[in-house]
Amino acid sequence: MAESHGGGGGCCPPMDLMRSEPMQLVQVIVPMESAHLTVSYLGDLGLVQFKDLNSEKSPFQRTYAAQIKRCGEMARKIRFFKEQMSKAGVTPKETLDRENDIDLDDVEVKLEELEAELVEINANNDKLQRSYNELVEYKLVLEKAGEFFASTHRSATAQQSEIETEQVGEDLLEAPLLQEEKSVDPTKQVKLGFLTGLVPREKSMVFERILFRATRGNIFIRQSVIEESVVDPNSGEKAEKNVFVVFYSGERAKSKILKICEAFGANRYPFSEDLGKQAQMMTEVSGRLSELKTTIGAGLDQRNILLETIGDKFEQWNLKIRKEKAIYHTLNMLSLDVTKKCLVGEGWSPVFAATEIQDALHRAAVDSNSQVGSIFQVLRTKEMPPTFFRTNKFTTAFQEIVDAYGVAKYQEANPSVFTIVTFPFLFAVMFGDWGHGICLLLATMYLILREKKLSSQKLGDIMEMAFGGRYVIFMMSLFSIYTGLIYNEFFSIPYPLFASSAYDCRDVSCSEATTIGLIKTRDTYPFGVDPVWHGTRSELPFLNSLKMKMSILIGVAQMNLGIIMSFFNAKFFKSAVNIWFQFVPQMIFLNCLFGYLSVLIIIKWCTGSQADLYHVMIYMFLSPMDDLGENQLFPNQKIVQLTFLFLALVSVPWMLLPKPFILKKQHEARHQGLSYAQLDETDESLQVETNGGGHGHEEFEFSEIFVHQLIHTIEFVLGAVSNTASYLRLWALSLAHSELSSVFYEKVLLMAWGFNNVFIWIVGILVFIFATVGVLLVMETLSAFLHALRLHWVEYQNKFYEGDGYKFAPFTFTLVGNEDE
Amino acid sequence: MGFLITTLIFVVVGIIASLCVRICCNRGPSTNLLHLTLVITATVCCWMMWAIVYIAQMNPLIVPILSETE
Repeated sequence: MAESHGGGGGCCPPMDLMRSEPMQLVQVIVPMESAHLTVSYLGDLGLVQFKDLNSEKSPFQRTYAAQIKRCGEMARKIRFFKEQMSKAGVTPKETLDRENDIDLDDVEVKLEELEAELVEINANNDKLQRSYNELVEYKLVLEKAGEFFASTHRSATAQQSEIETEQVGEDLLEAPLLQEEKSVDPTKQVKLGFLTGLVPREKSMVFERILFRATRGNIFIRQSVIEESVVDPNSGEKAEKNVFVVFYSGERAKSKILKICEAFGANRYPFSEDLGKQAQMMTEVSGRLSELKTTIGAGLDQRNILLETIGDKFEQWNLKIRKEKAIYHTLNMLSLDVTKKCLVGEGWSPVFAATEIQDALHRAAVDSNSQVGSIFQVLRTKEMPPTFFRTNKFTTAFQEIVDAYGVAKYQEANPSVFTIVTFPFLFAVMFGDWGHGICLLLATMYLILREKKLSSQKLGDIMEMAFGGRYVIFMMSLFSIYTGLIYNEFFSIPYPLFASSAYDCRDVSCSEATTIGLIKTRDTYPFGVDPVWHGTRSELPFLNSLKMKMSILIGVAQMNLGIIMSFFNAKFFKSAVNIWFQFVPQMIFLNCLFGYLSVLIIIKWCTGSQADLYHVMIYMFLSPMDDLGENQLFPNQKIVQLTFLFLALVSVPWMLLPKPFILKKQHEARHQGLSYAQLDETDESLQVETNGGGHGHEEFEFSEIFVHQLIHTIEFVLGAVSNTASYLRLWALSLAHSELSSVFYEKVLLMAWGFNNVFIWIVGILVFIFATVGVLLVMETLSAFLHALRLHWVEYQNKFYEGDGYKFAPFTFTLVGNEDE
Repeated sequence: MGFLITTLIFVVVGIIASLCVRICCNRGPSTNLLHLTLVITATVCCWMMWAIVYIAQMNPLIVPILSETE
């Protein structure tokens, strides 16, 4: 729907935050030499959102692609440093000074040097570590295999001596085979070769079996378990290993065994049979181990020193590189002029910032010693500008809440103005307990008082959200204390704070107190719910009726406020059709039905009549001509109801039919004589408008407009009923809160008190505190927050909010610092 | 009677609050208007809630029936 932008107020004085700041499309022409500095200063200013004039080009075709690649390389090196530092446990020094004196080229050179050095040190360390691990394994092999050989030697010599003694005096017939074996000349025995090494424990059985099969059982293998896990030199991780010794005969067997060892990743180490040599190897290996250890230690120290020096400058470099990258990305968005001597940039900026921008341009031109200054001019365009609200630390959170649903269209009324008050208020209606409100207030006061300190720290996700919403929670807690006083609940206990209760027994004996009940003798309790109600049998019927009616009244009030906001929008955009054919029928419809209901509620309360309002409302529709009888609340009620019914019925086609026809007539009137339109001499944006934004023949599909209006009407009419009913959640949540709170108090605290045992009492108090904090202060807060939010987003905002704008996202360096790569 | 007096009290509190806000944070007409709007909205919301609860108790249809144990 094309409505004229920039209608410009006139109806009411301007109010902060009500509408977006007026924005303008500006064009900036900068000479090449001052381009970098200009963009840097504009980034510091943070008030220009650059349009991408080179959107058709691919990233590689852009002017500054090489620079960005450079920055990307440097960013990679920085990331590598960060990784190394975190692995070594070095934290970079926090620096808050933003000096721009460091030159990017210097940084690049330095980074390259440091990276080469670091990579070298790492490689050396790895090599040393690997040799160290191998030596450790070797030592283990020497030990275990040495043990094995020693033991078998002993047993072999023992056996030998045994056999020799046997041989001396024995019957030849008794052990012929043995004798034959032992009669073989030792020198003619086949020489057995052996291999020693380590094999991972999980593979050891398979290893043995495969060796056995491959050599057809002609090997002897012996394995010995190593108790501690050993660091594997290849993978660098700890693994459980066994030491093995394999005896084989023949070259073919040897080659097979070697291949199998390699396949299993079993490391082999040389081992000599000679005892003396073994001992020698042991001492050598031990010596080398201790040497390597010191060398590795020294290497690590050196690396840590290097990392510390990097850590000193790390944040500065990081920031600088990110800044430069952002600047080059932005520079890529500017288009190169034909003469290749200057860059042209377009962007959105607020009108109030014009002088500041010109100032920054001037400074950049001066600082970069260019002969020519930059040119700044405002362009006229029909594009929709981004929406920009100037918020302070208090209003930012509320604006974010509204933006989460949809960013306001340029210059439409901002719901967050009233949301600042109504959102905490609706939360409080659902939360109402001044004890809990005080707890919430204390918690949020802590956040607010430590604001400065906490804002510079890095908080966890949940704390970040709670901290960001501290002013929202502050308002919520203040209103909660107020509604808690009204509902008269302090951790569900009522107190007669303002006067004594209005109710008293009917007679002195008070015999009917539990059957018929008390009566109202004194004046109405002046502030809030009478304290006598808590714990009575008729508490719930009374409170339910009260809270339901209160929800309807509050709901109708807020919806009326929403429709009135649409009136202000229509006034601002100078759209009379919206006032007469949308605002008026909507007001009439809503108020003839639900406004009338609200009035009936108030009359019933004021007069104390026993009329059944459900009956009245339903039969107003079903049989409006019927006599009201005992449901009559005021004279001539039937006539009034008929009138309202008639007005409501009339307002539906009033909303639906005239507007599309009027818009069609307006469109025709606008484009009546436009066959020969004169060319405008004004500067237009460099970008060709691809979407039929404004010039030339506007599209006007009557059927589309009509269907749109039909949907709008149906939504409003049906929504009137459903939205009003939706406000009953105010009753529902407040009931849940008070019931939970009363259960925790009565069933935990009072029960614990009844036992007269200090220990049980302490346990009771602890359970009470945990239950209150966990369920009531956290869960109920979130729940009421959510529902209050929904009431705002849907029931309030769908009366007037379009929310299809886009947010002003200026080029600024403050965000660059907070990005996580 | 009590209703009118307390309503007047609310009005007076609202006026005092807006004066305080005007005195302590006076920052240009559009900002002042925003502050005034917020104070008035808050006052109206609070008054409305009090008024609803008060009027509901003026002519009660349900009376408190004490429970047996008390």
